[in-house]
Amino acid sequence: MSLNTDFMVKVAQTAIQGVPVTLQIVLVALLISLPVGCLFALIRIYRVKGLEQIVKLYVSFVRGTPIIAQILIVYSAFPSLLNMIIGKAAFSINPIYYAYIVFTLNSIATLTEVFRSALQTVDKGQMEAGLMVGMQPRQTFWRIILPQALISALPNITNATLYLIKNSSLAFIMSVKDITAIAKTEAAFNYNFLEAYLVVWIYYLIICYSAEVIFYLLERYFSKFRRSTKKTNLFNWRPLSIKQPEVRAEADLTESERTNHAQNRGLKKRL
Amino acid sequence: MENIKLIINFLGQLLPAINITLIVSVSSIVLGSLLGLGLAAAKQSQSIILRVLSSIYVSVIRATPSIIMIFVVYYGMPLLFSGWLHINIEGWNRMYFVIIALTLLFSAPVSEIMRSAYESISKGQMEAGLMVGMTPFQTFYRILLPQAFVVALPNFANSAINLLKEGALTFTIGVVDMVAKAQMIVANNSGGYAWQTYCALALIYWVISLAIDKGVTLVEKSYQAKRKTIAA
Repeated sequence: MSLNTDFMVKVAQTAIQGVPVTLQIVLVALLISLPVGCLFALIRIYRVKGLEQIVKLYVSFVRGTPIIAQILIVYSAFPSLLNMIIGKAAFSINPIYYAYIVFTLNSIATLTEVFRSALQTVDKGQMEAGLMVGMQPRQTFWRIILPQALISALPNITNATLYLIKNSSLAFIMSVKDITAIAKTEAAFNYNFLEAYLVVWIYYLIICYSAEVIFYLLERYFSKFRRSTKKTNLFNWRPLSIKQPEVRAEADLTESERTNHAQNRGLKKRL
Repeated sequence: MENIKLIINFLGQLLPAINITLIVSVSSIVLGSLLGLGLAAAKQSQSIILRVLSSIYVSVIRATPSIIMIFVVYYGMPLLFSGWLHINIEGWNRMYFVIIALTLLFSAPVSEIMRSAYESISKGQMEAGLMVGMTPFQTFYRILLPQAFVVALPNFANSAINLLKEGALTFTIGVVDMVAKAQMIVANNSGGYAWQTYCALALIYWVISLAIDKGVTLVEKSYQAKRKTIAA
């Protein structure tokens, strides 16, 4: 068993051209879906008649079907749909636009759920207090509610972004020239698939970790006021202790209970 | 109306391929839970090496796209086996490779779910169990596990649905599951009725994940009812 290292270096050099494409897809999808997700979450929270049911159905559909099926549907339905509107030009559209559509639609659904749970964590008293001191409802939302909700949403947004980055590797099905597609075509010449995919794997690890670090810094910046005094050492250093943010079982404990736990654990070890 | 008729027709053609999807998902859920249990135990263990190794494993798997994992397992495992163990596994059924890849992918989130569920239970429960004279294993099995199960259930179901969706990538290495079948149908119609076929495909997946979701909600409700009776 031996890996063709020369080939790996070559793939690493060519596949790096795909990194901007992947990042572009992720950024466009995130930038569009963040405000729309927030809006949809508000629709669900305030139970806007009619719209609420549509949003509910949409979220449930997108979350219940594999992204590959969504890609296939959009990639097969949109060109013929556009053909009816703008004629033959529809078939010469850069496929990256279809990638934008699919991944935006997909992350809107995830982010709707994220924002819904985040907005519900903010106490109702905050809204009342804001109205009490004479702010408009809209002002209260922008200045009081949203900043607090964002903090509790950030870990889940990180998670959604990671999913988006990982799923963007499926864009090659729409013949978008992203990292995976470039590595795949390179490998097809000599059937060196393993080497190519190992390189791609490393690229995705690097991208995901950088995204995680960026979000970690954001989270630290936004939650300045509730930062704990825990010092960083080798073992709780972020990359080694990355948790699955979607798991929130511990979160419903109160602060005192958590310190209790920590003490008990320490006790158990000493015993 | 025409479209709906077509979708129903395609549903009938796709459904026979569902057993591949179900076999792959169920076996990787079972195997992945076992591996996840091992990982969760490793994270709780006293040895620093085990703890660090398991957390590195979890964070690496978490940043791996599922398609890359499937490809690496599919192309890498035969090389690994022939190089180290001198066994030729090229001829294996391709489903095994998918199951292995999905097991690896599923074990990471499951280990985190199990660990957080275990930690969410107050340590006093363990101490009380030991106090009344149960053995540690009995306490874990009778007291801690049922409580942790309820805590873990929603997240576990969520991960299972994710796994089901990732399992749709099986077709990329040539297993004839529902997605591959749908593509064949489209090819047979020379590219026609593409979106109707894929809509039928999406509908099947939607129904399965809705069923999992509803089932879990029911189980949770029954547990909560029991809890209330005890409290009253």
